Amino acid sequence: MSQNVEPFKGLKKLNRKLAKLHHILKRDINISTVSTPTNNLVLCNSGLVNGLTEDQVFEHFSKHGEISNITMLPGKSCCFVSFSKKDSATSAYECFNGKLNISQNNRPVYLSFVEEVPKPSIEVIWNELPPGLLVFKNFISTEEELNLLKLIDFNHEQCGLLKHRLVKHFGFEFRYDINNVDKNQPLDQSVPTETDFLWLKLAQIQPEFKGFKPDQLTVNHYAPGQGIPHHIDTHSAFEDPIICLSLGSSIVMEFKKDGTHTCVLLPQRSLLVMSGESRYDWTHGIVPRKFDIIKTKLGGYTCLKRTTRVSFTFRKVLSTGKCECFYRSKCDSFLNCNIEEKMAVQLEKMHVHKVYDNIANHFSNTRHKPWPNVMDFVQSFDSGDFLVDVGCGNGKYLSNNTHTFEIGCDRSANLIEICRNRKFEAFLTDCLSIPIRDNCIDGVISIAVIHHLANESRRLQAIQEIVRILKKGGKALIYVWAHEQVKNKQKSSYIMQDRKNRKGTKEMNGQCLTSAQQVSLDSGNITLPVHSNRSNFQADDLLVPWKLKGDEEENESVFLRFYHVFKEHELEELCLKVENVRILKSYYDQGNWCVLFQKM
Amino acid sequence: MKLLTHNVLTSKCIRGVTVGYPLLIKATNVKVSEVEFKPDFVAKVLPKIEWDVLANAAESLGHWQNLPKELPNNYENDTDFLKKIHRVLLEVEVIQGELICPESGRKFPITNGIANMLLNEDEV
Repeated sequence: MSQNVEPFKGLKKLNRKLAKLHHILKRDINISTVSTPTNNLVLCNSGLVNGLTEDQVFEHFSKHGEISNITMLPGKSCCFVSFSKKDSATSAYECFNGKLNISQNNRPVYLSFVEEVPKPSIEVIWNELPPGLLVFKNFISTEEELNLLKLIDFNHEQCGLLKHRLVKHFGFEFRYDINNVDKNQPLDQSVPTETDFLWLKLAQIQPEFKGFKPDQLTVNHYAPGQGIPHHIDTHSAFEDPIICLSLGSSIVMEFKKDGTHTCVLLPQRSLLVMSGESRYDWTHGIVPRKFDIIKTKLGGYTCLKRTTRVSFTFRKVLSTGKCECFYRSKCDSFLNCNIEEKMAVQLEKMHVHKVYDNIANHFSNTRHKPWPNVMDFVQSFDSGDFLVDVGCGNGKYLSNNTHTFEIGCDRSANLIEICRNRKFEAFLTDCLSIPIRDNCIDGVISIAVIHHLANESRRLQAIQEIVRILKKGGKALIYVWAHEQVKNKQKSSYIMQDRKNRKGTKEMNGQCLTSAQQVSLDSGNITLPVHSNRSNFQADDLLVPWKLKGDEEENESVFLRFYHVFKEHELEELCLKVENVRILKSYYDQGNWCVLFQKM
Repeated sequence: MKLLTHNVLTSKCIRGVTVGYPLLIKATNVKVSEVEFKPDFVAKVLPKIEWDVLANAAESLGHWQNLPKELPNNYENDTDFLKKIHRVLLEVEVIQGELICPESGRKFPITNGIANMLLNEDEV
């Protein structure tokens, strides 16, 4: 610490500086400083906006006596320290004023006494547990702790490296790109049986959790200074409760809901149970820092140095994949549920039909190369067969066959115009009511179309229409955009088109979490996330920007297209809801889910 | 719009319409443009189409070329016949006009060779 204290330079300079800072304090947060010592000190030129943290303040000022409160104001360049005794405050003042270099760029901090400390707009609550949260101290013995720690060897075993911590999964891999597990791909290693004793113990202490048996375990390894961002475990991914065992170190976990912010100490060897409201409605997270400031029962603060913490988070995968909780504002099952019909019609009109008419020429210029698997399908038909391309766009699949009769149809008049100019046979229609007779078409393709329909019943109807016009024995190939843009560690070409994404797979997962923003449609009260191009999808229903360059550089307009991106198996399941459908092939092709089916 | 396309088009998607087939054609501009003749293709297509519908449509446009009212047998090797049919199926195009639903009378405009089969929200 001694290197932080500069020799006293000049009283005059210090007083001038202070007078200026006092004026700012008065103007900015209406706080008057006093010249006679009090219990409270203000750090006039340093606060959260300068990068100062609560633990830095604690580290230095606690050397002068017991601290009763530290007040950091969000967005301010000042903060407050209150001592239990006036003498401690005086001592800190004399030692640090203009001498302790913890302000921005290692500049000295300037101090003054204040009578009162302002109340932060969000008050941090201590040791008051959110409803449904339980902490069982000393849940396991030190011996049991050691045995559990021996189960995981982060040095030798294969484990994932996240931005902030090491992680290992059992039962199912928790995928950070989709914030969910893939239920169809269980891991070879299931949850170790060495953890079974925990559930017997829990049932004894808390009978309501009798029968809890997790099938997914995520082990996190936190070095001091590492944390985890605030989050709610995806509702549709896991059942209630979520249980977390803290090994190796105690830590403070923060819980937030609306304006409430509460800190909970998770002692080493304690078991945390998050259920009900605390599981569904509160976010939880760990601030990345090297020590935690803990409010004692007496109201003072003490400091807890973090050591390496290993947490075992036990969860039970929700087999239905559909959460039925009451905490709807945070529930993905509720939020991602069907967009109601009227809204769907408006959404498609504004954010699909109009957009394609506007971007038709530019869109067409970017759509030359047919996809090989689609081409193979189109060319597999016999001479004289009738093929229909539902949503044919600029007709890139309409000219590849000389022995079949190909008809294109699309919702966009401007795209159909382009087809017509290319001498293709095409007409204008909506894919929800195709004006073609029943049972008369040999082959149908619908490439990148059905994902533009805004609810499931409409997507189903589009497939029903395709089946209806097909002959018995006729085949259809459907492509839709996949939610999963990274498959088997391979990025789709869509993702690869962004240079930033060509490095590692892991980096991308982190970066795109922050880039989604929300926009409101003026057609109604629906808010959809706007996708950040060339990144992973953050939602099922979203708006994807299409940038259209004008004649001059700055004349760029952005059009938002509605997409429902499909999860694995979703397209198959949808096709199988239609009678007389037999799936011949179902595959992933460059960021798309694809189904080839036959009408029975 | 080619007559081969017309042969499969229906207005049955309109609410209340049950068959909606065949659609009547009212043309103000019909064009005949050359398309490569592939006898094998034409021969394979013929069993798939509604002969009467094709005949009536072509006749209403004045392009039936005195073809028989019924599909003759053994046409596979009758190049003359296949050529005429080829013309009806693929070369005759309605550029301007309308298609009319036989049940509801709903008109679908044809502009620049493109049939606009879009329905209003209240029609489906």
